[in-house]
Amino acid sequence: MMGQEIYLERETFFHGLDPRTKMFALVIFFVIILYFENPFWVAPMSFLVLAHGIASRSLANLRPVRYVLLVLAVSSIILWNLFANGKTPLFWIIERESLSYSVGRTLILLSLVVEGIVFLSTTRYEELTLGLIRLGLPYRVGFAVSTAFRMIPMIVASTYAVAQAQRSRGLDLDTGNIVQRVRKYLPLLVPVFLSMIRSTNTFVMALESRGFGARKNRTFYLQIGFKIKDFICLACLAVLFTAATYFKLTGHGMIAGLQRF
Amino acid sequence: MTLALSIRNLTYQYRGQKKPALDRVSLDVARGDSLVIMGPTEAGKSTLAATMNGLVPHFFKGRIDGAVNVLGRNTRESTVAELSERVGMVFQDFEAQLFSTNLELEVAFGPENLGLPREEIVRRVDENLRLVGLAGFKRRSPASLSGGQKQKLAIASILALTPELLVMDEPTTDLDPESKKEIFRITNGLCLREEMTLITVEQETEEVLSAKNVLLLKDGRVAGYGSASEILRRIDLLKAVGVMPPAVPAYFHRMGCESLPLTIEEGLKEFAARRWLISEEAYRRAAEKDERRVSKYGETIVACENLEYTYPGGVKALSGINVAVRRKEIVAIIGQNGGGKTTLAKHLNGLLLPSKGRVFVRGVPTTEQTLFELGRTVGYVFQNPDHQIFSETVFDEVAFGLKLRNMNDQEIKAHVEQALAAVGLTGFEHEDPFSLTKSGRKRVAVASVLALRPDVLILDEPTTGLDYTEQRSMMEMIRNLNEQGCTIIFITHHMWIVAEYAHRVLVLKEGQVLMEGTPREIFARQELAEAALSPPRVTTFSRALGKTMLSIEELALCTLTGGTSP
Repeated sequence: MMGQEIYLERETFFHGLDPRTKMFALVIFFVIILYFENPFWVAPMSFLVLAHGIASRSLANLRPVRYVLLVLAVSSIILWNLFANGKTPLFWIIERESLSYSVGRTLILLSLVVEGIVFLSTTRYEELTLGLIRLGLPYRVGFAVSTAFRMIPMIVASTYAVAQAQRSRGLDLDTGNIVQRVRKYLPLLVPVFLSMIRSTNTFVMALESRGFGARKNRTFYLQIGFKIKDFICLACLAVLFTAATYFKLTGHGMIAGLQRF
Repeated sequence: MTLALSIRNLTYQYRGQKKPALDRVSLDVARGDSLVIMGPTEAGKSTLAATMNGLVPHFFKGRIDGAVNVLGRNTRESTVAELSERVGMVFQDFEAQLFSTNLELEVAFGPENLGLPREEIVRRVDENLRLVGLAGFKRRSPASLSGGQKQKLAIASILALTPELLVMDEPTTDLDPESKKEIFRITNGLCLREEMTLITVEQETEEVLSAKNVLLLKDGRVAGYGSASEILRRIDLLKAVGVMPPAVPAYFHRMGCESLPLTIEEGLKEFAARRWLISEEAYRRAAEKDERRVSKYGETIVACENLEYTYPGGVKALSGINVAVRRKEIVAIIGQNGGGKTTLAKHLNGLLLPSKGRVFVRGVPTTEQTLFELGRTVGYVFQNPDHQIFSETVFDEVAFGLKLRNMNDQEIKAHVEQALAAVGLTGFEHEDPFSLTKSGRKRVAVASVLALRPDVLILDEPTTGLDYTEQRSMMEMIRNLNEQGCTIIFITHHMWIVAEYAHRVLVLKEGQVLMEGTPREIFARQELAEAALSPPRVTTFSRALGKTMLSIEELALCTLTGGTSP
């Protein structure tokens, strides 16, 4: 059940917050990021996300996915132009408004991904489970949710191993158009899938053997609780949320003259 | 005598299988005893272990007959989780059984499930991490541990549930020799200190000498059950079951003795009492064979020059590696878990490219060849065949690489046939590879690389997870390939395989070459222990007699009995 972990063991202000505060922050950040379409209005949130990443020293986790993010950003800046029109032509099918819209969408996309990674870099799966339980979810559900996150790095690790095995047999995964490439990845799916099933099987056996669900009432080794810094964070989030909602409702942050399809 | 475990006439058949995995097994184990279960693959060892904590019949699907009573409880009437309070289970796959973000949470997981108060959990976490020697690593992530440490952590996390019966299913199969010994030191200590019953499934006989009882399983049936000292002396029975006999009694058995010593000390006494000698003449002939072999090698085919590799995260895995492999050699790479063996091997076919220095294949740096081109010279067989197999038939699986190279159907057929013949799978063309045993799947993986007819074959742990008979036949196959001209580089934890099959050994430690030489040279050196390694038992025994011998056969040929018997 082990792959490269996303969580980073650091001692920062943000690591020490209660998991519930971290979850509220994540949700509120996501909502506000999605409020606006004008990049100048999205940008402040993107800066906050970046600041959050720097202050919690979790941007190291962006390194392995930096090329994916780059490809995502470039293609997003181009593709969103196809879904929007404007009044001020720049060149070809691109107008000032549609370009502005594309940049806004791209910023939103990147901010969401980065904030998600920062969240997982600062929150242990166990904290997530415990936070969800304290919010009223049953233990099994909380555990299932955090297990889903646990699976991500594991899938990545096993895909990597399988890809290496097939490449060394001469499978060329690096050339060809999109359709060809997708077809080439098919031989990878079977082994990845099967090895996932196999290790999930052992994982479940290990869980049972460690008394998972043996008693109705479970105790927790981790201790969480709201401290002063949690209340400060929650207050800041409330102010941020109120302000952003006010601007949203009064019609700010849109792009004039933009037509979406 | 109170029983920890009582099994009566147990038959178990997995759903969809034609034969029962366990066939009328009966077994009693007293409290405080230690039992080792041995047998070939598919003998039903893991199934038997799984009956002890209720995974059979509650987790696996199948038909069960007979009764299993564990600590006075019928396993049919209790769930696995309920049984977990008294029966602990450690699995072979240490990756899959760890799932927490640091060591203390890993150990705390079990006690948390039992609803213990936090102070008690804290106490158990500290106590058990200390017991397995991981006290200083509380805040570390399990992923950052070595293989041996991971398995120790798995044991600690089970011990935190204070089980009365501890079942371990091949806990050391994937570990280096030194980690293996440490695990057995821990578990042997447990047996002595507490009223704990210990049941271990194990492949390797040498580690079992200290157990009280041994159970031999074959085809789901009990093939032998008795005290370890009795069973381990029955060399013919062990061979018939497919278990490697311990070296010392096997040697005396080979010499035709009736009463067999078990340990090295007993063996030395017996050797002296019989006034046997080692023939200098015969030994010199054996050693000369090593030298003659060297003269037959061809030109250098793979070479590393000041190779250094740093993983993207910044961890330095290899440094200052200078190695040259010549045509027709068999080179073994050994060293502890995490010592850089696989990282080095992956450089030799271009799967990894050096951070510094260069790797040459046929004189051309790997950075200047594509993986596709390199694949023609160097074939790489991964440790886990299941990372590679995806086709519906064995034929398609082996033909996959050939099709990628645009060969015509006739050529493909010829190549596949030859490769399957080399691995002993002729006639299996239309089988589903997933229906084969692990050894069968490993052979398919080897064949699929072999079909490309590489000059150099790299095998990452070709014998791990196989039983003794399968290990022998895998290595005989590899030796055959070598005799046909293929250069072989393999990674292994099995020292007897290094001793008997390798021409040259590279010992890696912390990413550097600690030693290099013939098996005879390497196993004679004290520094071996620094790399968490120890020679095979027969070599240790022969060194106590003054010479470094690599196999029971060699030792037997060099023994001068002088026709005397005491």
